[in-house]
Amino acid sequence: MSDRSFTPAFISFKALSGWLRALAQKATVHAPRREGRAVVYRELGDGQGLESFLRPTESAKHVLFPRSEALFSFQRQGEAAGAASGKIRLQEPEGEGPAIIFGALSCDARGFLSFDPVYDGCGTAQAVGGIAKDPYYLRRRANTSIIVRACKSALNTCFCHWVGGGPASTEGADLLATDLEGGLLLSPCSEAGAALLEHPDCVPALPEQIAAAAALHAAAERSLGEAPPAGELAASRAALLALFENSEFWQRQSAQCLSCGACTYLCPTCYCFNITDESNGIAGARLRSWDSCMSALFTLEASGHNPRAAKAARLKNRVGHKFSYYPAIHEGRFSCCGCGRCIKSCPSSVDIRKIVLAAIKEAAHV
Amino acid sequence: MAIEQELQAAVKAALPELDCIIGWGPGPDALRDAPLFLRDAADADVLRAGFFSVNNPALFLPEYKGRKIGVLVKGCDARSVGQLLLEGLVRREDLFVIGFPCSGVIDAGKAAALIADRCEAGELRSVREQGDSIVLEGPDGAFSLAKKDVRADKCERCLFPNAMDADLFVGEKRAPFAELDEYADLAAFEQAPLEERMAFWEKEMSRCIRCYACRDACPLCVCRDQCVAVARDPHWLSQADGIRDKLFFQIIHASHLAGRCTGCGECERACPMGIPVLLLKRALSRRVETLFAYRAGIDMQGRPPLLTFSLEEPRIKERDW
Amino acid sequence: MSKAQSAAQSAAGTAPGKGPGPGARPAFAGDLPNPYLPMPATVIEVINESPSIKTFRLVLNDERAMRDFHFEPGQVGQLSMFGVGESTFVINSPPTRKDYLQFSVMKAGENTAALHGLSAGDTVGVRAPLGNFFPYESMKGKDIVFIGGGIGMAPLRTLLLFMLDTRKDYGRIRLLYGARSPQDMAFSAELPDWLVRGDLETVLTIDREAEGWEHKVGLIPNVLLEMAPAPENCVAVTCGPPIMIKFTLQALEKLGFAPEQIVTTLEKRMKCGIGICGRCNIGDKYVCVDGPVFTLAQLKGMPNEL
Repeated sequence: MSDRSFTPAFISFKALSGWLRALAQKATVHAPRREGRAVVYRELGDGQGLESFLRPTESAKHVLFPRSEALFSFQRQGEAAGAASGKIRLQEPEGEGPAIIFGALSCDARGFLSFDPVYDGCGTAQAVGGIAKDPYYLRRRANTSIIVRACKSALNTCFCHWVGGGPASTEGADLLATDLEGGLLLSPCSEAGAALLEHPDCVPALPEQIAAAAALHAAAERSLGEAPPAGELAASRAALLALFENSEFWQRQSAQCLSCGACTYLCPTCYCFNITDESNGIAGARLRSWDSCMSALFTLEASGHNPRAAKAARLKNRVGHKFSYYPAIHEGRFSCCGCGRCIKSCPSSVDIRKIVLAAIKEAAHV
Repeated sequence: MAIEQELQAAVKAALPELDCIIGWGPGPDALRDAPLFLRDAADADVLRAGFFSVNNPALFLPEYKGRKIGVLVKGCDARSVGQLLLEGLVRREDLFVIGFPCSGVIDAGKAAALIADRCEAGELRSVREQGDSIVLEGPDGAFSLAKKDVRADKCERCLFPNAMDADLFVGEKRAPFAELDEYADLAAFEQAPLEERMAFWEKEMSRCIRCYACRDACPLCVCRDQCVAVARDPHWLSQADGIRDKLFFQIIHASHLAGRCTGCGECERACPMGIPVLLLKRALSRRVETLFAYRAGIDMQGRPPLLTFSLEEPRIKERDW
Repeated sequence: MSKAQSAAQSAAGTAPGKGPGPGARPAFAGDLPNPYLPMPATVIEVINESPSIKTFRLVLNDERAMRDFHFEPGQVGQLSMFGVGESTFVINSPPTRKDYLQFSVMKAGENTAALHGLSAGDTVGVRAPLGNFFPYESMKGKDIVFIGGGIGMAPLRTLLLFMLDTRKDYGRIRLLYGARSPQDMAFSAELPDWLVRGDLETVLTIDREAEGWEHKVGLIPNVLLEMAPAPENCVAVTCGPPIMIKFTLQALEKLGFAPEQIVTTLEKRMKCGIGICGRCNIGDKYVCVDGPVFTLAQLKGMPNEL
């Protein structure tokens, strides 16, 4: 990335909606909105209501990885009946235009870093058929700018600092917004982010505003709970493998789990999907939809055999993937950004932090 | 809290005969307990049973079929247990049911809304019960809320606060809060024109992420891995991200629960997106009550009306059509 | 760096110093090939192997794609029935025979049932080749024992025919092929040739006595113990249902085969076939890209989750 240092700007809350509406002329702007008890991302309307910090219930991953999208549509040609007779025409969808995510949390921006190597074809690096990259994700990734809004304080489910993040981390961000008195400090982190500031209402920030933001970031860091000592968490990689066949441990950890998909679908780093066809007989589409490793069908084979029939095996895979298998092939990085949504929104209060720490402890005793 | 200590003692005494006891223990944040699976009497001190013991432990019982387990139940949880028994999904001899008088449970969403100008729920350091109030320790000091302001709606409607059919009941049975019309809110909702109600559901369902927490938190959802929501045979629902299909699933879910839903509200509480899906189930519960004079999970001699067949239903006058 | 320093830096918009840094993202080229897009192909022949197994011979509709199609023995492909779905099968024709691509399909689920409805002239989609392949280079100069059970014979057929086509590279080649009954035995058109040819020793077995059956009767692992192939300079290649694999591996170990000398190919529920969708993993290995072919030595180093 560029070494050039960017100049932070300030925008008043009064001008915020105007700036965002101007951005929305050139890109689809997704911004958080409170709806009932949830805070969800919606396409920008009038841009009002964004003066106050909102912590989205869902992550922003659906902007780059829609809940369901057509990989292609198909159309049978000619009058022949039957599922496979006649010629077939396949059509890829047109890619969307540029997008901007406003008000993502720092953990959400870091979440995409877990997607990146996977969707960029790392798994097929050695493949004979060649490297297979995911054009759907990569197109959106290149086309989307992320404006992170720094967290003012941590919740007790937050643990971004366990996994290398922080309330004002700029990893994966193009622009960092910090709530100040009367407006936002906008600190660019990339060329794309700097470009978003080309607007008359984005005025050069004053040194005291930059200092105030830094103080707020430091205060937010202090509000985070205690993290395990540096390096201790890395023991999860070996520990989770060592405990793989300890079914008693996994029964205990998964006893309260409902095996629903709330954790995986709210997770900024969970990237698994299903592929299914929808058809009216003549035309249809092949869909790629979110899928969850907590679902029994995820690994059910046509023969009826299921390597992860029990919820304990599925929870083990979810935790194992994030804290052991993924790091093993991605330079030690966890596939977890510590946003805590899986804990906060779990209907049954499953706490992945406890499971990982318990695994490390249990493995150390063996 | 005296009841909690009595329950801890009861659990310690009962545990040697049981595989485990399901109750509640500390949760990841202050406003909610977590389900607790006690196997060792030494851990009984963390057991909780009170205003924050929201989860319905009946959910877990079918998993333990064939093993003798204990379960702590609120009045609403006991109705779920009753319905599971009626449907043969658990066996009475496998259960040791421990009841206690329930004074209602928190609706964490209500509490979060009430404290929004002070802090987020996740910033609370601790919360405790104090008579009719809860005392919350926030980042800027302590404050209290009246329980009645943050109690779940289902508790305000509840007519059965004391677990029925318990093997052990700890504490004094208490009277329900009020004799209010259980379906007043539903009747009010139905005042709106059809288009408006459809628009309401479309808006609510637009938040659905299809995690199926509603289904998986339901103690009476028994299809589990065979659910029509993801089945290819029958292939009723599209996986496309459409509101109609999401609403369609909720209607299927509600239909499957007609005459079986006890109104425990776990579907709605479990929904991370705050979609009021219980309302759909209650609409059908009311219909079943009207047609068959049946309430799920109460009468152990009763037959769930949609699981049985009578040639002549006394309240359905087919011949008069 | 202190917390305050890092906070000051982040406010000014620079990286906290870990990971790929702010604004970093993978590059996107507009002409990226789409790995999810199947190649249309036409069925040229359907062979009824058994009541539940059919073999399909396909040619890609694009002549150039067909001519340039390159794969290795053991690689798999995804067959699409548009409107129904896609599932994974081994390409069981050898790379040395390039007139068509062959897949044998056991009827088990929605897509395989639809595939069984295909006749010559019908259109399907193909995404191939996917996955790794049998380590035939390192098997050169060695004796080979193939042990196939049921539909598990399909992937072995690829390598078997490939080795027969490059026969001088290998030592003694033996095949033990078992099925539940004579009717369940696939590739029956080829079995007479396999039984008589001088460069291959074939043993067939079925689980229970059947009228007119002239070959072995008995479970594969037991027949294998009777055959007792010597482990010296030998590689065993096996595929079949999980229970057969389990006891065959035990038999091979009993015969003195080291884990490095045993090669198998795995099956998992797969969707993308390119290591992204996340379901076919065993620990940190993805069967669709790191497999489907593994040695027993590799499997022993992986979590036990077959």
